[in-house]
Amino acid sequence: MNEWMKKTPLEWQDYIYKEVRVTASEKKEYKGWVLTTDPVSASIVLVNFLEDGSMSVTGVMGHAVQTVETVSDGDRRVREKLMHLFMSGDCQAYSP
Amino acid sequence: ESPRLGESLECQEQRARAVQRERYLRSLLAMGGRQVSFTLHEGVRVTACFGAADLDVANFYVSQLQTPIGVQAEALLRCSDIIAYTFKP
Repeated sequence: MNEWMKKTPLEWQDYIYKEVRVTASEKKEYKGWVLTTDPVSASIVLVNFLEDGSMSVTGVMGHAVQTVETVSDGDRRVREKLMHLFMSGDCQAYSP
Repeated sequence: ESPRLGESLECQEQRARAVQRERYLRSLLAMGGRQVSFTLHEGVRVTACFGAADLDVANFYVSQLQTPIGVQAEALLRCSDIIAYTFKP
């Protein structure tokens, strides 16, 4: 089990809405804004805003995470966008 | 999300865990039916249509898996073989 997987939910929480650089197995590197970390698998979900105005979402599997380094603390606009991402009612498959 | 006054550390932790898990599950839900590109070990990259994951995130069930040797109609990708995945919501 790597260091990232041993963190507690309160420690993972500190990374939410921040821009991070994640190094993963086989020298892979990912950069993006943290949406969440799955407390079960420790997989980290990053969001990137692309030049054409669209978004891409990347999940790095918990077992493959080596280091997570904060690049910037983020701003209100990014926070607003991330806060509502996937949360709206337009997801038809979900019925509470 | 912010700690409540007088709440025990255990409660705070439980709350943080629930928020993070819900977001993760919603991100999986958003991935359903979308084209996802997976980075596997040994530098292999494949794309497939995401179907479902099991709750402990051990396997991803996908369809139309495009591999270097052809298209697999349906497949289970073991999460232990995956380094990362990317999709456009």
